[in-house]
Amino acid sequence: MKSVVIGAHLLRDDVEPLATAIPVGDLYLSALEVPDDQPLGDRELLLKVAGVRARLLEVATFVAIRYGLSLASPDEALGKCAAHLTRWKKVLTAHREHVEMTLKVAAATAMLRPDRHDFTSGADYLRALHAAQQASNVDPGFREAAERLFAPFSVKKRWEHRDERSVELAALVERARLDEVKAAGEELRATSPAVPFLLSGPWPLEVFADADRE
Amino acid sequence: MSDELEELPLLETLDHLLDRGVIIAGEAVISIGDVDLLYLGLNVVLANVDAIIRTSKR
Repeated sequence: MKSVVIGAHLLRDDVEPLATAIPVGDLYLSALEVPDDQPLGDRELLLKVAGVRARLLEVATFVAIRYGLSLASPDEALGKCAAHLTRWKKVLTAHREHVEMTLKVAAATAMLRPDRHDFTSGADYLRALHAAQQASNVDPGFREAAERLFAPFSVKKRWEHRDERSVELAALVERARLDEVKAAGEELRATSPAVPFLLSGPWPLEVFADADRE
Repeated sequence: MSDELEELPLLETLDHLLDRGVIIAGEAVISIGDVDLLYLGLNVVLANVDAIIRTSKR
């Protein structure tokens, strides 16, 4: 069996009995045990991990680990995660009562995705793809309204360029005020009917757990 | 249209599962700027990140 890792948690009780708790330093990884020959790309496994991930978040906020990490044995955990543990403990302690929300907004100035066949150099294509993603933007008025939406509830927020057609505002909000955040989202939809957006969450610490982006 | 609306939460969930969160050493993600372009997993997962997401959305 191998362990498909989901996240990093402050307490063992934050993980069990929903998933297997793997001690790593002062923290615990949550994981699902799957047969060695089960591919990580298996649709059913993806859905199962997504379901457990959501239920773990109902128990307590955790650091999300990107899908794809699997451990052949629990002994591998420390070696792979040692560099992150201090940072994780800090954010898990600081943000136990917070969750992430995401506002995905259709870009007002959506760029065309570069056609890879127009490039003879792979590096040039990748640079053009990156430039197209970075050039996507949101109407300034909506951007301001979106930031106002999160302002009363958020401790951190950050705009991110995900692709050439949309821009995302990630916000770390108080878990206890999720209903108010969602109500504010409905109000934003009513006042900005022309701007397509999707308010989603709660999510674990995804954007705000990344030490490289702080 | 209603089917599309029902699928939205699932698509968003899979998008977050596959494209968010901390990347652990042992995997490799080749990026330009903040954009992840290639993902090399430990278990012979080698794919363009966009392709993984597109596949998950089908």
